[in-house]
Amino acid sequence: MSHGLLVDIEPSGAAGGASDAGKIGEASRHHDPLTGLPDRRWLHQALANCGAVPVALLLVDLDRFKAVNDTLGHPVGDQLLCKVVERMRSVIRTSDLIVRLGGDEFAILQHTDASIEGARAIATRLVDLVGRAYLIDGHLVNIGASVGIATREAGDPAGEGDGDQLLRRADLALYRAKAAGRGCYRLFSTDMEQEAQARRQLEMDMRRAVALRQFVLEYQPQFTLAGRRLRGFEALLRWNHPTHGRMEPNDFIPLAEETGLVVGIGDWVIRTACQTAAQWPAPMTVAVNVSPAQLAPGLVDRVATALSRSGLPANRLEIEITETALFGNPETVLAVLGRLKALGVRIAMDDFGTGCSSLGHLRSFPFDRIKIDRSFVMDMITNPSAAAIVRAVTMLGHTLGFETTAEGVEEFAHLAALAGIGCTDVQGFALGRPLAADSLTALLLENDCSEASA
Amino acid sequence: MSQTLHRLVYLSRNEMIGTTEEIAAEVQRILAVSRRRNFSAGITGALMFNAGCFAQVLEGRLAAVSDTFERIQRDPRHSDVSVLEFEPISARSFPDWSMAYVGQNDRSDAILSTLAGLGSIDAAALRASSVLENLEQIVRDEDALIAVG
Repeated sequence: MSHGLLVDIEPSGAAGGASDAGKIGEASRHHDPLTGLPDRRWLHQALANCGAVPVALLLVDLDRFKAVNDTLGHPVGDQLLCKVVERMRSVIRTSDLIVRLGGDEFAILQHTDASIEGARAIATRLVDLVGRAYLIDGHLVNIGASVGIATREAGDPAGEGDGDQLLRRADLALYRAKAAGRGCYRLFSTDMEQEAQARRQLEMDMRRAVALRQFVLEYQPQFTLAGRRLRGFEALLRWNHPTHGRMEPNDFIPLAEETGLVVGIGDWVIRTACQTAAQWPAPMTVAVNVSPAQLAPGLVDRVATALSRSGLPANRLEIEITETALFGNPETVLAVLGRLKALGVRIAMDDFGTGCSSLGHLRSFPFDRIKIDRSFVMDMITNPSAAAIVRAVTMLGHTLGFETTAEGVEEFAHLAALAGIGCTDVQGFALGRPLAADSLTALLLENDCSEASA
Repeated sequence: MSQTLHRLVYLSRNEMIGTTEEIAAEVQRILAVSRRRNFSAGITGALMFNAGCFAQVLEGRLAAVSDTFERIQRDPRHSDVSVLEFEPISARSFPDWSMAYVGQNDRSDAILSTLAGLGSIDAAALRASSVLENLEQIVRDEDALIAVG
């Protein structure tokens, strides 16, 4: 497709007085050789040249493109990109512009008769068409498209001539489309800017929260079911935020994972839990949740250091991972878990039953424990299928040689039901709420006395 | 590889809006264009259509099947394309048809409504065999009734 219609917004260097040869040189410097599309710099210049006309900008991100490149190779990936561009061309109007921003990122600029409705219609068609299967070199290939849209009204005082702001807004909308599960489009709205601002603020707060000692650990007791004996505690992270108050992991761990801050915070959790547990008057275990991002080779040394500095025997530390940890790079994760286990640390599979619950995951590593997700345990009295799942996982654990912990035990009726099916350990509000480190030492001393006197 | 014979069977949802006559005329236009293109590209196959769905069999050299499929994928007159089968074949099922056409009748309705009622995974699990066998059977039975492609 020719870009002849775009002469009016052509970046100034390429139009006007330059010779034809100069124009071609200028154009090829700003064009992607694979697809022949103009690049990001070209878009910036085009946006700057748009002036006060209404403009719609659509940012298009291909979903799962990297997986195609990784599994079928770059030649297939390149052919796929060319077909995607052809499909995009079949969707846009002749006056619209397509730009390749990066590997699998594109932009569509509408600068003639641009409207929100028009942009929505194109986004709907794009998501549909790009998401349809491709046949390349005999492979059926499936990818998806996520789209973020931002528009600028004629004479919009906030945006005139400011392409950066339009790009930023379209990017926020794209972020929302991806967060909504991909394969859809989102239109920018000002609340997205406020939310992004709040997210940035929370990220900045989080960067200094460890230094300002705003994180604390609480410890929830875990009991053996047979003897109702206290066997250890799960360390739970809380953030005493200066303005938001007390925050639970769900409120900030997703952002910590997204920004990579979870690694530093996670290290602090491991160090603190080890130090605290080492001072307990009884040899209880301490369980620590580890996020997928932490499961890199460096974790093993940091755990070893935390153990040696605190003096906590390795077999009193239990690392809890979720199944999602095994999604990304299972070889690395399994190697890290193997080295942790070699140190003597115990490894537990947390929240089992809620992820993809692959039995292959249970076979892939000699876990010491499976923790059955609270959602099944809480419903097991009233819902026979929840009870059946708890029973099946318990039996599986028994057969494979794992201990099983039922989480979310909130009623004593659960205990009898769990005992009946051979679950080994329990944890939940019926038995003990999370405690601050100080009150816990008192509990342990008391527990010690009661056992001695029994 | 691009020279080996392949067959592709898909099911899709009709997106054309109009009266029965308008849609019938549009389907005839689709057929006319596809027969012309298929003849020169060495593609054979069959198309089944009712008000809700298309099911199509394409067979030919891989490169030609790929090009045809890409053109079909870009067509806004249908959506939700589920590929039920795509594999190398040793012989064509519709060697004499640029695009045999099975319009709305009781048998095609029964097949399409069964397929449309299934999720795409279930439909794929049928391995397209029922579409293919039924199409072959109908085309054989109604040979005399269908305009030659």
